[in-house]
Amino acid sequence: MRRLLTVIAVAALTVGGLTACSDSESTGGGDPAAGGSGKTTAVKVGVIPIVDVAPIYLGKEKGFYEKHGIGLTLTPAQGGAAIVPGVVSGDFQFGFSNVTSLLVAQSKKVPLKAVANGVASTGEEGADFGGITVKKDSPLRSAADLEGKKVAVNTLKNIGDTSVKASVEKAGGDPSRVEFVELPFDQMPAALDAGQVDAAWVVEPGLATIKAQGGRVIASNYVDVAPDLTVAMYFTSTAYAKQSPEVVKAFQDATRESLAYADSHPDEVRRVITTYTKIPEATLKNVTLPKWPAEPNRSSIDTLAELGRQDGLFTEVPDLDELLP
Amino acid sequence: MTPPPSATRPGAAALGLAGLLGLLLTVEVLPRSGVVSADYLPPTSRIVRALAVELNDRAFWRALGDTLTGWALGLAIAVVAGVVAGVLIGSVPFLRAATASTIEFLRPIPSVALIPLAVLLFGTGLGSTLLLVVYAAFWQVLVQVLYGIQDVDPVTRDTARSYNLGTWARVRHVLWPTALPYVMTGVRLAASVALILAITAELVIGSPGLGSRIAVAQTSQAVPEMYALIMIAGLLGLLINLAARTVERRALFWHQSVRGEAVL
Repeated sequence: MRRLLTVIAVAALTVGGLTACSDSESTGGGDPAAGGSGKTTAVKVGVIPIVDVAPIYLGKEKGFYEKHGIGLTLTPAQGGAAIVPGVVSGDFQFGFSNVTSLLVAQSKKVPLKAVANGVASTGEEGADFGGITVKKDSPLRSAADLEGKKVAVNTLKNIGDTSVKASVEKAGGDPSRVEFVELPFDQMPAALDAGQVDAAWVVEPGLATIKAQGGRVIASNYVDVAPDLTVAMYFTSTAYAKQSPEVVKAFQDATRESLAYADSHPDEVRRVITTYTKIPEATLKNVTLPKWPAEPNRSSIDTLAELGRQDGLFTEVPDLDELLP
Repeated sequence: MTPPPSATRPGAAALGLAGLLGLLLTVEVLPRSGVVSADYLPPTSRIVRALAVELNDRAFWRALGDTLTGWALGLAIAVVAGVVAGVLIGSVPFLRAATASTIEFLRPIPSVALIPLAVLLFGTGLGSTLLLVVYAAFWQVLVQVLYGIQDVDPVTRDTARSYNLGTWARVRHVLWPTALPYVMTGVRLAASVALILAITAELVIGSPGLGSRIAVAQTSQAVPEMYALIMIAGLLGLLINLAARTVERRALFWHQSVRGEAVL
């Protein structure tokens, strides 16, 4: 998600030419008309190696994708800077991105199409997989106290600051008086501890690390945005969606199955996480798992779009009907 | 430009080793004495334990192989391209004048800024890594070759001309011996830069290799593992620099900058 804006600018300029070339090449990769006839289509998905994508790893292991005729390759990438151009150029067929980034991309006319749900907030105040944290002895008690304070988010002008502002507003504070600074999630525990920032919006496993140091969650910003907020989704390029609707359909079905399975098998989720991350056992035990509903929550996405509009994230209002499945 | 004469003496090697040990000792002591939190900078002993686990992991060796492949291929391409382009541009005054400002414009562009373009063109695999590595290493070689060619003694050049040496003979007997020490410096610099960029590309893009392993350890809050991998990256850099210096000395055994060492 970092540097998404730069990426989009480059992507937007190059898209026309590149999709034109890759269209003719990629037809050799595999016939999408596999249906259920035992033929598999090779599909590459760009994911971020974090807790959120556990269902797709689990679904691959369980053979859900194979069953739908998809030979799945998961490629860990470091965020939207690599995933979005990868999907647009056809190197990846699908990618994982947070909803706000997808909205920003859509408003900039990057040809993307969300196809399946990714991850959702638990909807429980104080027990979500992300939250606004402060260090042990901090005088801050609620989101309203963030006025005039320095708050770390992983990317500015994205889902972090818009949702934190929603929390501040809900608690009766003035969101325009919060000072946001950009910091990678993994550096937040140290920055918080050293007092470089007053509060940090962090997700797992950073959240578990901060809690283990005695830090407190003062607000659950995802919960404050909307009940059962859809945080991230899997997406493809509009070109691929048009060219291979059968593969997209098969991916959607398999992902739905994987999400439902993951949601009801937390122990297997914790195990599969150790196969693609290095989260220490002691931390993993205390990680709050997100929810993985099979379908995105449209009204929560409407709310995110509205928050993004208020914060001036979009030059043009994104077309949700076109973006969402 | 050339290795300091003392580098070959056994006393200097011992000193270098002592410096390294001192660093490891400092990292052991700092977190233990509470100056920094052991959560964020684990003591050396803890890092070494994580390192031992890494060394037993087959995936680690595959990642190391991936990184070295990207480094070696990228460096080879950059050196060949840099030398060929350098000799061509350097020996044709018109080309030199026409490209000077373009080179100075392109050279300072950080490779990292090309990441979105690289991903768009080559996806997240080896191709992207190569683009970044070649871009960064190429200029190191090119600029050194250009300096080298500029350094040709005018008397030698005129002598070659009056003896009616052909183009190839001039390149072989006049240009190349003068430029070689510069080329070697360029290669040595490029070798280090190529490693940095290979690991950076993996770190940022996520193409397979040591860098992406560091990134996974980072996002997983696995701090000792992260430092263990960083230590490997550092050792790799040290080895590459040593190897480059050795190659430089062998290739320039006749040159006064290297011959001088033996006399001392």
